[in-house]
Amino acid sequence: MTDELETAPPIEAVEPAGAQTAPPQGVLLVPISRRQVLQIAAIGVPCLIGGGAIFEALTAVTAAPQPEIDPIVARYDAAAHRWGFVVDTVACIGCGKCVVACKTENGVPLDAEHTRTWIERRTVGRDGTVQVESPEAGVDGFAHAALPAAAADGSVSQFVARLCMQCELSPCTVVCPVGATYRTADGVILVDEARCIGCGYCVVACPYGARYLVPAGARTPTGVAGVADKCTFCYHRVTRGEQPACVEVCPVGARKFGDLNDPGSEVSVILRDQPSRVLRPELGTRPRVHYLGLEDRLA
Amino acid sequence: MISVRVSGRSIPLDPRFAWNVLRREYANTPLALRAWFAFLLALMGIGALGALRALFPGDKGVATTPTVEWGLLIVGYVFFAVTTSGLCLASSLGTVFGIDRFRPLEKRHAILAVLCLVTAFGVIAIDLHFPVRLVFGAVLNPAPTSPMWWMGVFYAGYLMFLMVEVWSIFWHHARIHQWACLLSSITAVIAPMTLGAVFAVLEARAFWNNLFTPLHMVAAAFVSGVSLLAIVFYGVGRLRLVGWERGVALAQPAVRGLLTLGLLVLGLLVGRQLFVGLTSADVGLRSSTQLLLAGPLVPEFVGLRLIGGLAVPLLLVLLPRTRTPAGLLVAALLAMVGVFVDRLTFVEAGQLAPVTTVSGVVSTPYAAYSPSPVEIAIVIGAVGLVAFMYTLAERYLDLSESEAHVMIWLPRGLIARVSGALPRPSLPRRRPAPVAVESAPLDIAPLESETSAVPDVAQTPLLPEFDDAQQTTPDLTVLGAPLDQALVDEPVLPSLTPDDLALPDEVEPEPASADATDEQLVQEGG
Repeated sequence: MTDELETAPPIEAVEPAGAQTAPPQGVLLVPISRRQVLQIAAIGVPCLIGGGAIFEALTAVTAAPQPEIDPIVARYDAAAHRWGFVVDTVACIGCGKCVVACKTENGVPLDAEHTRTWIERRTVGRDGTVQVESPEAGVDGFAHAALPAAAADGSVSQFVARLCMQCELSPCTVVCPVGATYRTADGVILVDEARCIGCGYCVVACPYGARYLVPAGARTPTGVAGVADKCTFCYHRVTRGEQPACVEVCPVGARKFGDLNDPGSEVSVILRDQPSRVLRPELGTRPRVHYLGLEDRLA
Repeated sequence: MISVRVSGRSIPLDPRFAWNVLRREYANTPLALRAWFAFLLALMGIGALGALRALFPGDKGVATTPTVEWGLLIVGYVFFAVTTSGLCLASSLGTVFGIDRFRPLEKRHAILAVLCLVTAFGVIAIDLHFPVRLVFGAVLNPAPTSPMWWMGVFYAGYLMFLMVEVWSIFWHHARIHQWACLLSSITAVIAPMTLGAVFAVLEARAFWNNLFTPLHMVAAAFVSGVSLLAIVFYGVGRLRLVGWERGVALAQPAVRGLLTLGLLVLGLLVGRQLFVGLTSADVGLRSSTQLLLAGPLVPEFVGLRLIGGLAVPLLLVLLPRTRTPAGLLVAALLAMVGVFVDRLTFVEAGQLAPVTTVSGVVSTPYAAYSPSPVEIAIVIGAVGLVAFMYTLAERYLDLSESEAHVMIWLPRGLIARVSGALPRPSLPRRRPAPVAVESAPLDIAPLESETSAVPDVAQTPLLPEFDDAQQTTPDLTVLGAPLDQALVDEPVLPSLTPDDLALPDEVEPEPASADATDEQLVQEGG
């Protein structure tokens, strides 16, 4: 040990010579090699990118759900309305114009498997068996589709328009693990496409089969593929004071839409004066879509 | 050079060093093991291709439709998640209740459980269209009405407990390990029940919507976890891996007993499911049950679930002729396939018979679903990943038994009675390894004076060679209360000296002749 001390060179000898090259007092200079710079960059750059991605995700998921409201109708007071929908199964002729209008208005994929609204023909035979058809979701109507054999013997057949029931006690909003599907003050259930994780739980939970996950492709209603989508009562239209697209194009007025808070609205009057029913009342979901003239055996 | 310190050894973070270690390791690996690794890497490669294909939201290459929105990936997630729980349920008999014959499961089950749960999370992340949103959304926007949110909470907590369990067992933190084992065993019941609740709350799906669904999930978990342990301990015995003596003598018979029990319970639950389903007035429930027995799911349900996954393994574990390690292996493999098919048919039966038109599609009488190659590849890759990582653990970690860290003592008479009913193992009790006590010297109470006053329950005529009631470790409390000393028959470390308890000052470097030093390995590459 003593030898080492004795043979060690004086400290001044290993210091860089010349006062002008010494670092200024108080400034920490760490000698760093090119390899270390590369190592730091190799760790730091992915961290920065990852951090940015996390920040993006955070901003998306923390933002409050905001329905797209046209600035023109910024004064729209959601709490003042309670939207309701009436389907007249006696009037419906199954032309499918509502299906086309919905897909056109909302950018819904054109294939039959992804549909916000569709028409089905329900036929009940004398023996009580029910047959349901919906060729291509009814987009081309039923003119080319022969009645099922069961209908020939005097049994009953009806067209039943289907769409999201906007349930007051909706299973979809209950089960969503991130609160991406929510109910507005006027009772319409919407999906926040920036928050939806695409787990499909709401699709599985919906007793009315009204939901689907948006497939990637040219037509995506919200511009985002992989998120849940469903009928919104054309929320972008009704908040402007317009009718939903399907209601507007129906040639026989089989679809009616209005404010249940307004006792003078058409839907309020109909629901007050005529018997109506909802689909699958046994589940207690309290749908906001009511059906007129629906046969007992077809409900 | 940047380096990390692991177990007192400085390991440089250098690519050349890593490459040299890898090369040296490859040269030292037996050919059969190399082939096994290659096979598993191939499986993982297949899975990686599938996972890459499934990265695109809205276009994942899966065969699901709005009618059958939950497909094979959900089944894979459920399978791995419940297997995790089953592993903990089975080994809690050793880790929490201290029954000696279940003690060999301790380290192996913990590692398998972590691997299975991480794999389950991986599979569900691939299944989701936006997995990152789930992580942040579930934390920042809690949705306590959703069972899926609670499932996330419990499984995240479960993973945490399991990781603490693994860490504490390898770093010898006895007290922490006790608590981690207790908490993970409790969560092992809660988590699969919540997973069952994810399905059970859906009134739209009559097949899932009943109280037995969570129970069925736990039973499936138990059978699946026990089967995996049986497969692993067959390998341990066959390949003479560390602790194989007690593994063969104790763990295999114990696991066989648990598998028998699990299969019987699961059989009862399946029987109830079929009986109630077929006699139900609910159209949806009846229709779903019929499709299991006379519909598109008959080959899976009757062939693989009822016969292959339940009846045959039950026979194999019950018949004296097949009560061999190989018989147990076959039974466990079949039972595991049976659980997978059970969860597959469960998830699909709830969706294949929808009572309504879904998104414009009428499914009469049944909807159709067959998994896409992408989904199959991902599940294959997941199996490969668990097997690969576990093989690494088996090769590089010290999986010998550690000290018992028992939290709750079962009544002595109960254990003696159960032990009496089980086949008697021929091996003497485990001798404790002295290394395990080094970090928990305070937990070891001197017992010699007390044990002498206690009636000697060790020499009960019931089990002269082995008795589970004779617990082995002295560092035990009943949830913090002093241990009933009647349960302790002998001090485990009678010759313990202060020197034994002292922490080592420094870890001795490995001899250069046995292994190259780090510097040598770096220099080789240079």
